[in-house]
Amino acid sequence: MKEINIDVLKDAASRLMFDMTEDQYHTLLNEFDVLTKQMATISKIEGLEKYEPMTFPFDCTVTFLREDVPVTPLSVEEALSNAGSVLNNEIKLPKVVG
Amino acid sequence: MSYLDLSIREIHAAYVEKKVKPLELTKEALLRAKANQDNCFEYICEKEALEFAEKLTEVEEDNLLWGIPYVAKDNLSTKGIPTCASSNILKGYVPIYDARVIEILKEKKAVLIGKTTLDELAMGGSGMTGHLGYTYNPYDPDHKRMIGGSSCGSASATAASIVPFALGSDTGDSVRKPASYGGLVGLKPTWGRISRYGLFPFAPSMDHVGFFTRHVEDAAIVLNALSGRDDRDSTSSFKPVEDYLEATKAKKQYKVAVIPEIVDSISDKELLAEFNKTLDKLKENGACIDYVHMDPASLSSIYATYFVISCAEATSNNANLDGIKFGPYYEGNSYQEVMRKARTNGFSELIKRRFVIGSFALMSENQEELFLRAQRNRAKIVSEVNAVLKDHDFIFVPAAPSVAPLFNASGDKLSSEYLIADNHMAIGNFGGLPSITVPFALENGLPLGANITGRAFEDGEVLNFAKQVEDVTGLGGLSAKKEDR
Repeated sequence: MKEINIDVLKDAASRLMFDMTEDQYHTLLNEFDVLTKQMATISKIEGLEKYEPMTFPFDCTVTFLREDVPVTPLSVEEALSNAGSVLNNEIKLPKVVG
Repeated sequence: MSYLDLSIREIHAAYVEKKVKPLELTKEALLRAKANQDNCFEYICEKEALEFAEKLTEVEEDNLLWGIPYVAKDNLSTKGIPTCASSNILKGYVPIYDARVIEILKEKKAVLIGKTTLDELAMGGSGMTGHLGYTYNPYDPDHKRMIGGSSCGSASATAASIVPFALGSDTGDSVRKPASYGGLVGLKPTWGRISRYGLFPFAPSMDHVGFFTRHVEDAAIVLNALSGRDDRDSTSSFKPVEDYLEATKAKKQYKVAVIPEIVDSISDKELLAEFNKTLDKLKENGACIDYVHMDPASLSSIYATYFVISCAEATSNNANLDGIKFGPYYEGNSYQEVMRKARTNGFSELIKRRFVIGSFALMSENQEELFLRAQRNRAKIVSEVNAVLKDHDFIFVPAAPSVAPLFNASGDKLSSEYLIADNHMAIGNFGGLPSITVPFALENGLPLGANITGRAFEDGEVLNFAKQVEDVTGLGGLSAKKEDR
């Protein structure tokens, strides 16, 4: 397992697209002390390799194709109604190129 | 006593007999909501509720939810009504569609009077982390005790008798724990029984729509209305829906498993004495109570398993909260800067910490040891729980190790009491099992809850036994209103 230090936490926060203060990173590092001990309750369990990782409580596979049913899509106004930056019926963001 | 303090069936009878009208009860519920000092509400839908209730003039005798006021947790999408999941990242967001459960209740002509507070984005169990601050337990007018979370506002509003029922969501115990602290019936049905379309996802492999009532029969009425397949939630079940109200009627004799490793990790002697008294009453009532051991190492690992999986799923599921499509927009020189500012300003420190923990568990170097190992352990715990339920109808244990804790209480996060007694109810989410909390006693005027977990899709049996617990304790209809105590 990757060693837990401030740099690793900063890297994770950066990938998650937010900033945290130095104090917050230290609080989180302290939290990891307890968390690591709590996670050890799982490491102690023997024979887990026999179990498949459980991703859902039970199978809910749908094995048929639904009929094509025409529906009315969102209007432009609805789709943009919660966007904070809109121009000419499109979401406006800073230029990526040029 | 007002009609608003009665059960759903009693209110319905009053409507049929024309003793009261939905508009009158809606006005009274709104008055109570506006006078509430427990920070239950993100938004009180006064205008919308009055307009809706005004149209309800011809009582539908076969529809028990007709005209019944209710509230919904603010992580359920409500068309035209602000919904922010108690997070600044969604401040000002107004959904353009209704969650399936909201849609159904509109069709049933139940009256939504407000959206309730929660732990931010439903991640938490204290009711302390929403952007509006603490939500209080109405049983403690001094505001020193929590109602629990994450469905804090819905629990508090039902316990304060503002409404007869309230929608919530439950990923670890977010309906069933606050139900325990608030003297309520709190039901998390089988995973897939109620559509989650329009529920903001936290950890979809464990998320459920659940609800609070003050009577077990009311829980059956609400489950009858909300259950069923919805094509817009591919995980909702095709299994036929039984009549849950009917299922509560005939008293059945059940074989019940009490898990000593959970009970013995509780230090509150008064709680244990009351729980044992309840077991005696249930035995006299015909239940067969067995003490069935479970592996303490498995039980101790429930919390960590839940935490790793839920944080990892949450990290991924909340990636869409970027301040671009919805939520407050912040100017920047690049779209990355726009997103970074929105997420930095929008998420509280606690949420950021959870996301970093989830991201850490998902890092390629850690994934096998943390995330996949937690998922394997989930499978093991579920197989052990299902083994107990093979020979017994239910697991029956205290829902929490104490009455509602004080906000400033501190505890040992590595103790058995914390790891097992305070967190065991996540087994219901791991296995998608129906699970309900019902009050079983009062300790110094504060409620204590017991939890019943049954086999998948046997929600009716769980409700039947919950009704028996309610009958033997005589605590149906409990509320924090002074005259009730």
